[in-house]
Amino acid sequence: MANDTTLKLGRAGQAPGARTRVRGVLRGVWRDPWFIVLLLLAVPALYLRVSGTTPVAVERLWYWWPALMRGLGMNVQISLLAMAMGTLLGLVVGAISLSPLAPLRASTRAYVLVFRNAPILVLVYFTTYVFPFEVPVAHWVLPFPDWIKVVIGLALPASANVAEIFRGAVQSIPAAQWEAAHSLGFARTQIFRTVILPQCLRRMLPPWMNLYASITMSTALASLVGVHDLVDTATVASNTVARTDFTILIYFTLLALFFAYCYPISRLTRYLERRHARH
Amino acid sequence: MPDTDSLVRLSDVHLSFGETPVLKGIDINVRQGEAVSIIGPSGSGKSTILRCITGLLRPQQGGIHVGDVDVQALRRERDLIALRKRVGFVFQQYNLFPHMSVLENLVAAPIKVGGVPRGVARDRARALLARVHMEHKTDAYPGELSGGQQQRVAIARALALEPELILFDEVTSALDPEMVGEVLTVIRDLVDDGMTCVLVTHEMRFAEEVSDTVYFTEAGRIVESGRPDQLFGAPRSERTRAFLQRAAGGAPARRRADPFDALLSFDPLRLAV
Amino acid sequence: MTHSLLEGWVAFARPLGLNYAFVLDAGERAAFVHGLWVTLQLCAASIPVSLLFGVLIAAGLTSGRAWLTRPLAAFVELTRNTPTLVQLYCAFLVLNMLISQKLEGGNPITPFMWVVLVVSLHKAVFHAEALRAGIEAVPGVTLEAARSLAFSRVEILWRVQLPLALRFALPALVNNLVDLVKMTAIASAIAVGDVTYESIMIWSQRDNVLELLLLILLYFGLLTWLVSVAGRWLESRLRMPGYGQ
Repeated sequence: MANDTTLKLGRAGQAPGARTRVRGVLRGVWRDPWFIVLLLLAVPALYLRVSGTTPVAVERLWYWWPALMRGLGMNVQISLLAMAMGTLLGLVVGAISLSPLAPLRASTRAYVLVFRNAPILVLVYFTTYVFPFEVPVAHWVLPFPDWIKVVIGLALPASANVAEIFRGAVQSIPAAQWEAAHSLGFARTQIFRTVILPQCLRRMLPPWMNLYASITMSTALASLVGVHDLVDTATVASNTVARTDFTILIYFTLLALFFAYCYPISRLTRYLERRHARH
Repeated sequence: MPDTDSLVRLSDVHLSFGETPVLKGIDINVRQGEAVSIIGPSGSGKSTILRCITGLLRPQQGGIHVGDVDVQALRRERDLIALRKRVGFVFQQYNLFPHMSVLENLVAAPIKVGGVPRGVARDRARALLARVHMEHKTDAYPGELSGGQQQRVAIARALALEPELILFDEVTSALDPEMVGEVLTVIRDLVDDGMTCVLVTHEMRFAEEVSDTVYFTEAGRIVESGRPDQLFGAPRSERTRAFLQRAAGGAPARRRADPFDALLSFDPLRLAV
Repeated sequence: MTHSLLEGWVAFARPLGLNYAFVLDAGERAAFVHGLWVTLQLCAASIPVSLLFGVLIAAGLTSGRAWLTRPLAAFVELTRNTPTLVQLYCAFLVLNMLISQKLEGGNPITPFMWVVLVVSLHKAVFHAEALRAGIEAVPGVTLEAARSLAFSRVEILWRVQLPLALRFALPALVNNLVDLVKMTAIASAIAVGDVTYESIMIWSQRDNVLELLLLILLYFGLLTWLVSVAGRWLESRLRMPGYGQ
């Protein structure tokens, strides 16, 4: 029976310089099993393309590939906008939730409760069907496309989560820092700006990135309300080609594409969490 | 010549964690009924020695015997369990199971491991708790107790399996000063009752008062060993002296070596040994 | 008696601009109630199945055996980084189709079961992460103390590690279960008759989307509240006095 305990030898010295860090990341990427898997998939794919002896299903996949990429672009677009809106709104709600006034705090708690307990699919249906499909603004009538409605539908739960992340980060700063700042003569808003917020932003980053990954995955629901995203494109392709082997191929490609987008985000998040934990 | 009433014997034990050597040739002999203290700076391997005795860690080289059992030769879990029923162990902190009450902590091992019937185990547990002056807290949970109270319960729990010897790994180091005394009192009572004890401790005065033999370790080796009055009063090694000076807070060693001490500590009976 | 209550409700809602007339139609009402029941069944089935898988995956991940941890870790990564909807499609449209072809029409796995399976496995991965964090939060010295008391490895796992890990992981597990309840709504994507699907059927005829969505939100709110309440009760039952709160 080998010894169970391992001696943890502390790493003396400062953090390595930027160039060493980049080299370290690249080296880590080469050894990552998933990276190797993706590489292994790309090689035969390229070979088949070049040699011209592709099976029918793969050929059809190449044919549909640009449409799939456009669909993926739609998902990414929705996720980025939803996160941007959700973050701005969430920070506002989060700031209000820390207000000394009780009714303001209560209303933010209600907001967070509603949007965190509602299924995202229901919220997406809500914004898609309840909002009009055109918006009259002054003289013009602006079309209100479905994908923007999905953006709003995703931004709402995102904002509730961001508000909670923000509140959690502020409350995780030890009270001793507030007291120290007060005793140095800082006013409340000054303390926020110079002491609390810089630390909060660092603490908020990992859960915020987790939220982004989760919102990105929720963009797949857009296909259920008729937005031409990646999932919808794959379904259309599968129905058009109507071959069993193609259906299998395209749905697993769907899985692989989402994975290829979300996994690096997840790895980056974990790397940031580890770096934060060391501080 | 093998010591027939030797209860614990370590011979030339070497242990490394990966590449790092921690024990570099340890020889320790504990006789039945003896109280042995191991002192030394942090990282000198003291806690590792205790863990080797009970098979929690395995040295790469060397012999460990508890009674006539060769610990290094034990391979099956069953044999290790049999060994651990004979050797009690009290840790520095987080000993007790926080999800069980004090009484449940004490009866868990006798019932599960010792096969003792529940009623008998509970009576014995209550008696042990009375011995460590914790009988009024049988239904409390560890989280509700102070550090000193938890350690006393931990000692009672180690006694519940009726071991032949008990190992104490810096059991007062994590306690607030005012609670150290109550735990040391319990240990002193155990020693007076004749229990074989091996203590790793920073409490120099206690070690001097209660031990029959003291070992001083540094950097994985035993620098010096002997009777407490010898080791503390007239240390032979310069390193021992330096350590004792640092431990006493920079004050000079408690008793300066005095040529008359040699005469005063002259014991005609020991010459025969 | 019920009919007059329903009429009262419809009358009450109309001036607010809400059209709840569908509740007066026996067929649509029955369909909606059936949807409520199916959602409840989905939750009742998925919760225990996800917990079971979660424990198994956590045990596998912490077992220390490479032939178990590597494939499990790969599965965990794959599940966490792909949308549940896509997983459901892969399972139902691909695997189910293949099974049907193999068995030539005698496929015993219903769409309901596929939803339970996919949603449970997805959440099981999150349960496993929470349990693993709980297991690693058990102080190493407490485990050493158990070993020094001559407990066997199995006894330590069962009497010390798992009870403590469960108590540490409980808040995260309850959060996961709340998410799981919300996730059952995707059953509507493969035409399993849950409350979302039935509502879509009704509003595509009657165009009362807002009214139905309000009902659905209330229902899910009720279900998630029940899960939270059960979670809090369990937390207080398993509380270790003097530890944490």
